[in-house]
Amino acid sequence: MTQVKLISAWLGGVLLLAGVVGILESGAADVFLEATRPDFQKISLGVAGIHNAGGPDWLGGRIEEVLKRDVKRSLVFDLVDLPSLGIQTPDIGNGMGAGSKAVFKQAAEKGVSVLVWGKAGLKETDKEADVNMEGFVYDSGSDELVGGKRYAGSPSVVRLMAHRFADELVFRYTGEPGIARTKIAYVAEQGTARELFVMDYDGYDARQLTADGFLNLMPQWSPDRRFLIFTAYRNRNTQDIDMIELATGKRWTVISLGGLNITPALSPDGNFLAFASSHEGNSELYRLDTRTKAIQRLTVNPSGDLSPSWSPNGRELVFVSDRGGGPQLFLMGSEGSNVRRLTFEGDYNAAPVWSPRGNWIAYVCRTHKEYKLCVISPDGQKRRQLTTGPGVDDSPSWSPDGRHLVFSSTADGKSHIYMIDADGKDIERLTFQGTHNSAPSWSPAS
Amino acid sequence: MNQTLCTCGVALVMGVALIGMPGCSKKSVQSGGDSQGTQGMAKGGSSDSSRSGVGSFPDTGVQSGSGELRGLDKNPSEERVGSGTMLAKVDPSSSAGRQMDEFRAEAGLRDVFFAYDSWTISEEERQALNRNAEWMKSNSSALVKVEGHCDERGTSAYNLVLGEKRAKAARNYLVELGVGANRLSVVSYGKERPSCNEHAESCYQQNRRGHLVVKTGR
Repeated sequence: MTQVKLISAWLGGVLLLAGVVGILESGAADVFLEATRPDFQKISLGVAGIHNAGGPDWLGGRIEEVLKRDVKRSLVFDLVDLPSLGIQTPDIGNGMGAGSKAVFKQAAEKGVSVLVWGKAGLKETDKEADVNMEGFVYDSGSDELVGGKRYAGSPSVVRLMAHRFADELVFRYTGEPGIARTKIAYVAEQGTARELFVMDYDGYDARQLTADGFLNLMPQWSPDRRFLIFTAYRNRNTQDIDMIELATGKRWTVISLGGLNITPALSPDGNFLAFASSHEGNSELYRLDTRTKAIQRLTVNPSGDLSPSWSPNGRELVFVSDRGGGPQLFLMGSEGSNVRRLTFEGDYNAAPVWSPRGNWIAYVCRTHKEYKLCVISPDGQKRRQLTTGPGVDDSPSWSPDGRHLVFSSTADGKSHIYMIDADGKDIERLTFQGTHNSAPSWSPAS
Repeated sequence: MNQTLCTCGVALVMGVALIGMPGCSKKSVQSGGDSQGTQGMAKGGSSDSSRSGVGSFPDTGVQSGSGELRGLDKNPSEERVGSGTMLAKVDPSSSAGRQMDEFRAEAGLRDVFFAYDSWTISEEERQALNRNAEWMKSNSSALVKVEGHCDERGTSAYNLVLGEKRAKAARNYLVELGVGANRLSVVSYGKERPSCNEHAESCYQQNRRGHLVVKTGR
């Protein structure tokens, strides 16, 4: 068992400002890794305005708002409010002019590590409208204008410009791609049907993917983000596992063995599909080699086995079994060996998902008759309940950086989709439309 | 990948400035996310399954690294921002692919209800199934589907398994009463097709059911 610390150090001048990014595992699934370590020091960042440079009044403010929310959600930066520190944020241009130098000096004195600003404008011709955005980054540690970005695109991609700039900031300071451009697939009710949708990670820009008028359930992303794999009903009678290609909408059935075929999960390398099927009687786990099409049965017992989730190294699976009575989490090797029970607290533990860094398994735990989110370490030594209160929480799914979970909850009445920090802080509701939104699945990072 | 990042991390600790960061990630960082776009169904059409019940599989394992991120630049050149992940347009009103229901409710068939977390058929509910068996015997050509349903509590996935257990428990009891097994099929809808949407036990009770429907003549 080895663990290697990845410390991303931002070196500026003589000042070494260390931002501990996290620890990456090097193989073993039982390594403890904290997505957000107790000693993690967020990097203080202030946004000194995205100023209008020829365009509608809302433009700069819109980009600034999206950018600030992204920065805050990154959990890499500590978003500071510059005016409350006495730092005024006039248009400070794009250079190291005299005016901007005063602002930089103020920021450095107030302990603001990173200062971000920019401008945005809209050019309209008879044929098209084009938004231009520039963003700049000053680092007070090195007293240096680090650099910037220039984006252009149609007014419909204004939010994406802010998302991409936010991810550039995260990438610059951590080497990670950021999550602001990730997507969330989910199920939304339409009449009595449930159809697949995909939205941006912040809940905006929802798009419908299926329209067959019946049930499409529990989508999961392929590792390359190009496909969703999910449970569907052919002729309303048999549960099959289908795939859909996002770019084309092409959809086809990949598993139709008869009986219940549910909870598909592609291995991190895409070479195997783990799923539950009842075609031999009761619900058992199987593993399909996606290249040879060979199917291997992983579990053999008269109880229900379902909901496999891969460890990030692809060597182990966590799954649900009610072989002891109620549903509990179990672990096994990905070829079915070495089965052992993971959860012992409570009489209902289900819907496990292994975190991208390997250190936690999130799941639904029943406590005081409510279905809430819990996390447990793969060795069972550490367990925490993340959500409390009324409502049924379901279908947790990790952000690719392991710092957040998305899940569904009936806490506000109807089922909607929420985001929560991996440490249980800062719940944010993402969906507000419709009668029922559920089964969120967070895409891999792009 | 881990190894690459680990090396990168050590290099950073040693003081290499982050300007070089893109080089630390996988090569695909530079090539952008579009390079895979044309590979599509590289592994063939949808009908070449080597085993019945298994369809074609595309190659899905290629991860795209940090995609379109190119790093901050002191003299940034303009980048066009497209619409992000390409998503096909779906017309929700189109009737293509709409599923027709081949089964209908039948007044002579009664629902059978279950206790919380349970798929056991109680003495009281056996009465309903006894009547259903009689109906099926007097309608000897009817094909019946038993739908297993659950209340909203618990996870979607486990409720699908629970719903199947309920449907099978009802089917097995009907078979015990002499109904031909070949006339009975089962399906589980879990908690996905509730008949009642309130958050109350009176409603949950109605949703924990085996619902029997008859195949239409179509």
